[in-house]
Amino acid sequence: MSLTRINLFNQTKHKFRYTTSLLFNIRHLATVTQDHNIKKRDVFDNSFMIDKNLYDIAIIGGGITGNALACALDIGVWENINHERIRPYKDIQVWDGISDARIRFNSDERISINKNVEAIAWIIENNNIQHAILTKLAQYKDSNIDFLENTSVKRIMFDDVNYENEQFDLSDWPSLELSNGKIGADGINSVVRSFANIESLGWDYNARAVVATLQVEPQVENATAWQRFLPTGPIAMLPLNNRFSSMVWSTTPTLASKICTLPSNNFIHLVNAAFRLRIADLEYLYSQLENSDIEFAKEFEWRQSIEKKPGIGNEISPPLVLDVQEKSRAEFPLKMRNAESYVKERIALIGDAAHTIHPLAGQGLNQGLADVQSLVKVIEHGVVTGQDLGNIQLLKNYSSDRYLSNLIMLGAVDKLHKLFGNDFAPIVFMRSLGLQVINNLEPVKSEIIKYAMGIE
Amino acid sequence: MIATLAETTSSIFLSKLRDEMLRDSKGRQILRERPIINSKTIDIPYLRTLPERTFGKEYANFLDGEMVTPDTREKVKYIEDEELAYVMQRYRECHDFFHTLTKLPVSVEGELALKWFEFAQTKLPMTLISSVVGPLRLSSKERTRLFEKYVPWAIQCGSQSKLLMNVYFEECWNKDITEMRKELGIYLVE
Repeated sequence: MSLTRINLFNQTKHKFRYTTSLLFNIRHLATVTQDHNIKKRDVFDNSFMIDKNLYDIAIIGGGITGNALACALDIGVWENINHERIRPYKDIQVWDGISDARIRFNSDERISINKNVEAIAWIIENNNIQHAILTKLAQYKDSNIDFLENTSVKRIMFDDVNYENEQFDLSDWPSLELSNGKIGADGINSVVRSFANIESLGWDYNARAVVATLQVEPQVENATAWQRFLPTGPIAMLPLNNRFSSMVWSTTPTLASKICTLPSNNFIHLVNAAFRLRIADLEYLYSQLENSDIEFAKEFEWRQSIEKKPGIGNEISPPLVLDVQEKSRAEFPLKMRNAESYVKERIALIGDAAHTIHPLAGQGLNQGLADVQSLVKVIEHGVVTGQDLGNIQLLKNYSSDRYLSNLIMLGAVDKLHKLFGNDFAPIVFMRSLGLQVINNLEPVKSEIIKYAMGIE
Repeated sequence: MIATLAETTSSIFLSKLRDEMLRDSKGRQILRERPIINSKTIDIPYLRTLPERTFGKEYANFLDGEMVTPDTREKVKYIEDEELAYVMQRYRECHDFFHTLTKLPVSVEGELALKWFEFAQTKLPMTLISSVVGPLRLSSKERTRLFEKYVPWAIQCGSQSKLLMNVYFEECWNKDITEMRKELGIYLVE
């Protein structure tokens, strides 16, 4: 099962303490060119000065994308995933917070894609994937991959110093100076990218995302992903298992920090309100976030009793939140970025180092993994045909494969964010009409969901 | 007839009015408690005994002077949603309080000026329709006075004052009326 089908929300991003830098040489592939020494093979990202520190490829950043790349040719990590902690979902319900216009994707009804599709996507904790990948990588530990854990890159430079091994002219090979200390995962603030002088273009959304793990009303089958577009940004709830769901709430920076520090009983009911009550109610609650006299539970219960809607079945709202997992609340800034180039001589950028996206469609990590797939093919091709791996002509194949599709995805998600982050009545009307129309056009919905699922 | 027209065309705007109440603490309290104004719930004899210049006394004076009671409002009939029906009712019932606060007379001119004031506050279509249609029934002298004096005042004062639907009038009987007007941002017509 390809990893690109995984839809993931990084609620554990901040807990992710250890990152590794991986350096490995593809010595075993050197047999293709029948040479036992270190081939004058171009170092891919960066390399060290000294002989034994000479690497064919250095991957900076040990997040999921970096490690997935290290798995190289055959990812095949699915069997290492702890299946008890994954959640497939077959139903996506998205609606407009102001007009209540809805759109729904349901894979049970989706005959046009593939009869055997079990789910539209899976929710998997970051740690689960990381663990699975690292388990696989452990197999290579003694052969040709070196892991440098708890190490950060102090500097990347071109070094013209003369050194012992005069056999090769390595002055145009990038070199790394490492230090033991705090970690910086490559990603958004990529050291490699700044070394390469590749600019990252885009903008900051005046928004932050709050994430949390929620304990919800027990469900027979918690298998729906929910998202409501509020004027301040979308709030999403994704199933983890029958009793827990993950929340991602994109909102203004002021609100985000208040929401993060809200006492948990008020927080729980604020989240319930965010999915079910009127925008005016939410605005009132926002104004009372720092007022400890107001009991959000009471406000919520009162409005719930007034707003009881005759639901079409029980599918109108997500499960009620009962509690929030201690310390699971965190927030991070949202931005849209795309590197002006994904490759340079001896350098390639993948994952968040190359692009950053708004979380509203859950596509960020998926894009990174698709980058991995593409780059691996390119490297594979390069090795098999005996090419200089760092050569930009080879690397450009990766760039041309991924650049446009990433750009399109970034653009589409950005437009969606702008379209729904608005409470101007004519726009609300048009987009609600749009949602309702598309909701009734099965072929269009099919295409949309296939795109999101990564099935071209 | 005007009341009926309001009921059938204004549900979107009632919804907006209700939202304005939801955004305010007092407005929420009113929606929760749903106080009703009629001669049974309001002790008019008691209000008459209050000191001059209190809101309660001024209100009693108004009722007596115009020879009206709080029961002259039509009941809300065509609105299905319980809460919205209450909002409409409350809106009508508060009308006399608006007269008391703004000191507008119960004449055609006074009523029209008040409708403009309410329109500036609430944006309800009913108020707009009668604000436009109503003046046609006036003499030209009255119309001039309306548009030169009252309407500018109504728009200015209406848009800068607190939404009167969010005032819990029943708690204000003993308040000094000048103080109250100041708090709400209401000033009288010259």
